[in-house]
Amino acid sequence: MAKWGMVIDLEKCTGCQACTMACSMENGRLPGEHWQDVIFYNEGEYPSPQLKWFPRPCMHCENPSCVAVCPARATYKTEEGQVLVDWERCIGCKYCMIACPYGVRFYTEEKPRYGGPDMKSVFKSGDAHSWNPPWKGPAENWTRGVGTQPAGVVSKCTFCDHRISKAPKGTADLDPQNPATREFTPACVVTCAPGARMFGDLSNPNSEVSKAIGNKNGVRLLDHLGNKPQVYYLTGEGGSVPGNRVLPTKKA
Amino acid sequence: MKYKSEPQTLGELLAATITLAKDPSAAGRWFIGSMAVLVISFGFVMFQLITVGHASFNTSSDGVNWGLPIATYVFFALTSSGLTMIASLATVFGFKQFYPIAKRCIFLAIITLVAGFSVLALELGHPFRMLWVVPTGVQVMSPMFWMGVFYTIDLVLLIVKFYLMWKEDWDSPLSHLVGNAGFVAVILASGMLGLLFGSMVMRPMWFGSFTSIYYMLTAALSGAAAIVVTTYMAYDFDREKMPAQLKAFASGIELPRVFTTLIGITLVMMLARFWTGLWSNMDGLEGFAGLFRDPLFHVEMWVGLALPFFMLLSEKAARNKNAQIIAAFLVLGAMFINRLEFIVSGQTVPMFKGNWTNSLIAYSPSVTEWAMAVLGIAISLALYAFGEKVLDLSATPDHLESTEATAARAAT
Repeated sequence: MAKWGMVIDLEKCTGCQACTMACSMENGRLPGEHWQDVIFYNEGEYPSPQLKWFPRPCMHCENPSCVAVCPARATYKTEEGQVLVDWERCIGCKYCMIACPYGVRFYTEEKPRYGGPDMKSVFKSGDAHSWNPPWKGPAENWTRGVGTQPAGVVSKCTFCDHRISKAPKGTADLDPQNPATREFTPACVVTCAPGARMFGDLSNPNSEVSKAIGNKNGVRLLDHLGNKPQVYYLTGEGGSVPGNRVLPTKKA
Repeated sequence: MKYKSEPQTLGELLAATITLAKDPSAAGRWFIGSMAVLVISFGFVMFQLITVGHASFNTSSDGVNWGLPIATYVFFALTSSGLTMIASLATVFGFKQFYPIAKRCIFLAIITLVAGFSVLALELGHPFRMLWVVPTGVQVMSPMFWMGVFYTIDLVLLIVKFYLMWKEDWDSPLSHLVGNAGFVAVILASGMLGLLFGSMVMRPMWFGSFTSIYYMLTAALSGAAAIVVTTYMAYDFDREKMPAQLKAFASGIELPRVFTTLIGITLVMMLARFWTGLWSNMDGLEGFAGLFRDPLFHVEMWVGLALPFFMLLSEKAARNKNAQIIAAFLVLGAMFINRLEFIVSGQTVPMFKGNWTNSLIAYSPSVTEWAMAVLGIAISLALYAFGEKVLDLSATPDHLESTEATAARAAT
C-alpha cells in the first residue's frame, strides 16, 4: 500500500500561486477558500525587511490531530495516507479546524472571504450542494470529501483523491512529466511551472520523494508538535520553513 | 420539608403552566417576559440560520472558528456543573446547612444544561446528524466525544436526582448513590470540557492539564454565583419572604465563605495563567498580550472578580444581603466574559494565514451570535420562573425540620 506524500522545493518555488488556482479550479473552491495556498509574510523591519512566501497544502499528517478530535469519525486517515472528510458524517462542529496546527481546514458557511458578492448566492444550488460552481470537475464523492460540498460541513485538501486513487498499484512516483502518470497526479503538482513539487510513495525507498527527503534533508513544518506531516520541504540555500507562526516580534 | 404542593401528574403540570402565565406575581412576570424574549430571539436566530445560514456569524476559517455561541454553551455547561457541585456539599459531603438550596441547585443545573445544549445545537452545522454519528463513531480519542458522554450522564443523573427530591426521597440508598454518581459525573464533565481545550498543543494559550482544573474550579464559582442570584430572585430579593430555614442559611456565613473562597482561587489561577502567558516568549502565546489590552478583560478581572472578593471579605459584609447580591451578579457577569475571553483569545494567533491575517485576529460577535446568547439566557430564565412557581425548590429533607426552629433563632 502506498503512503502518498509531497515534497516542495522552496528553492524552486516562485510564489506564483498557480498551484492555488489549479487547486481551486480542480476542486471547485469558493474564492479565497484555498485548500492549497502560498502564504506571503514579512519578516524583519526597515532597513532590512524581507518579503517571503511559503506554499502550504494540507500536510496529511501521520499523526493527524484533526482525526483524533473528530467526535463523529467524519475525518479519517486512509490506508494510502491521506486525511479525508466524510461529508455524510461531518456535523460541522469545527473542532478539527481548532486542532489543525496548519490552518488548512475550511467551514462552508461563512461570509465571503474577499468581501461580496457571495458566490454561493450568485451560483445558487437547487439541491443539497452548498452552491453550484460555474465550473466543476466530473468527480464527486462525498464520503471522501471530493467535489462540491453540502452545507454545514468542513472541507480540506484531499491530495486530489479523485486523481491519485486511480493510479496503478505499486506506482512509486506520480510525475507530471511522465505521460503515464500525469493524469493521476495532484493538480497543484501538475501545474507547478518551476517544477517545485514532487509527489510519490513515501514508503518506497526508491521513489523520488523518498530520495529527495533523504539526500536533501527534507524538513517538516512545526515538527515539534509531533503531527509528522507527509509534506516535506527542501530548503537548500534559497528557501526557508517558517520556524513559527510568524507574528511580528514582541516589543521589549 | 415542603412549603407548597407540587403538581403530581402531567395534567396538573400543564394546568400549573397556564396558571403561571396568567399569574400577576413576580415569577409570573419573569415567565411571561423571558418567554417573550425567548420567542423573539429564537425566531430571529432561526430566520437568520434559514436565510443566511452560519454565514450570519462573524466567525471565519481564517480567524476565530469558535465564537460567542460556543462561549455561551461553555458558560451554561460550567454553571450547571458548578450548581451540582454546590448541591453536592449537602447531598454528597454531608454539609447539612446547604440543604435549603440543594433542590434549587439541581433544578438550575438541569435547566442551564438544557440552555447550553440548545445554543450548541444551533451552532452546529448538522445537529441532528450528531445524534447518530457520535454514538456510532465512538471516537474515544476525542475530548469532545467524552465531553458529550459525561454531560449526557450528568443530565440523566440530575433528572433522576431531581425526581427523587420531588418525591421527597432525600435519604434512601438510591438517592445517595445518584447524588454521588452525579458528583463524579460533573467533575468528569467539567474537567473534560477543560481538556477539550487543554489538549490542544497547537493552541498554546489553552494547552495543559491546568485548563481542566481551571474549568472545574471556575465552574464551581459560577455555580455559587448563580445560586446566590437565583435564591434571592425567587423571593423578590427580600430575605423576609424566605422560609425560615432558607432565611437562616441566606443570613449565614457558609455560602458567602464558599463563594469568596472560590473567587479568591479564581483570582490566583488567573494571575498564574497570565504570568506564564505574558512572561514566555513561546510562539503562539501572543494572544495574552492582546487580552491584556482588552478593556473587557479588565472589567472581568477587577470589577467582576477583585471587587466582589474584597466586598465579601469582612464577615459583616458577607452576611449583608445587598453585598451578596451585587457580588453574585458581578461574578456571574465576569464568568460570562471569562468564557468568551478564554475561548476567543486562544484562537487569536492565526494559523499560517500569512499576510491574509498577519497580526492577532480581531473578533466581535454578530447580532445573530448575540441573539443566541440572549436565547440561552431567556431559556434558563423562563424555565427557572416556571420551576420556582410550579415546583417547590426550597424544599428540604424532613429530618431538618426539627432543627428549623433552632436555625431560625440563630438567624435572628
